Amino acid sequence: MSIKKIIEGRKEWRAHVSRVKALPQDYQIVYKEIQKYLFKVGPVELNEGIGPLSEIISFFEEGVIAGKRVLEVTGADVAAFCDALIEDSKTYADLYQDSLNKKNLRE
Amino acid sequence: MNFFEKITGSDMTKQMKEFDERAKVLPTDYQTAWKEIMSNLWIHGDFTGRKLMPILESALELLEVTSADGQSVEEVLGDDIKGFCAALVGSDGAKTYRDKWREQLNKNVARKLGGLQ
Amino acid sequence: MLEIISRGETYGYEITQQLRELGFTDVVEGTVYTITLRFEKNNLVNIEKKRSNVGPPRKFYTLNEAGQEQLENFWRKWNFVSSKLNELRDKGGK
Repeated sequence: MSIKKIIEGRKEWRAHVSRVKALPQDYQIVYKEIQKYLFKVGPVELNEGIGPLSEIISFFEEGVIAGKRVLEVTGADVAAFCDALIEDSKTYADLYQDSLNKKNLRE
Repeated sequence: MNFFEKITGSDMTKQMKEFDERAKVLPTDYQTAWKEIMSNLWIHGDFTGRKLMPILESALELLEVTSADGQSVEEVLGDDIKGFCAALVGSDGAKTYRDKWREQLNKNVARKLGGLQ
Repeated sequence: MLEIISRGETYGYEITQQLRELGFTDVVEGTVYTITLRFEKNNLVNIEKKRSNVGPPRKFYTLNEAGQEQLENFWRKWNFVSSKLNELRDKGGK
């Protein structure tokens, strides 16, 4: 990764974080938990940039404007909401397992 | 890390160095967790290297972001790092572990939102 | 949801509203959001981002050709299933 890319990435990340901080408390809490979960599960899109994360923020911002509480927009089962978010995404774990299987086939 | 160079490629060595650098600035308990993750994945992978890199990177990002938020490392990873790593790479037992993440997520949300009122 | 979008440009929160009015009272915005995301990925909708007076730019959806096709397909299947079920019920009644 070039230095420039890292700095740009940081800038983008900082802007993202300040959008998160501008959300009401309840939204922030749920956002952070979602982010943690997504990093663990590791859908491929996440490594291509913060696009998917900033889309969630936009979705939340709209909820705030509509005067809703966070669980009203995600539903009470936040995990189910997350899984629906990444339903058709491959995860890095999937790709890794694929490559192991291929390797085993060859051997 | 010469051993590493042998089985991977120098591009990956470079990336591993970058990971090392990034891990160095983490809080101590996070650094310990990172080392533990690395050693666990070592067992899992016969390092089909390249494919493992993005997994490592997103684990590192998880640590970076959550430590910046001031969360405790236990809260982020749970008490079973081995299981956590199995789930990261999607090996046996990954499914039950992901169920655990789900449960954890909803429990954390309920607890933290409850704390607001 | 495709049907709702096919009736004219709309956005997530409005779709949710409409579904609720139709009687799907437990639909939340998040459900709709994840479904529109899937439409987007499968290339069934066109998207236009427009600034709104308040808050972030909103994504407006319209159906594209593939979406239209998908919708027609759905109605065909639906009509088939429901006509067969009606047939079954009518026969059973006699």
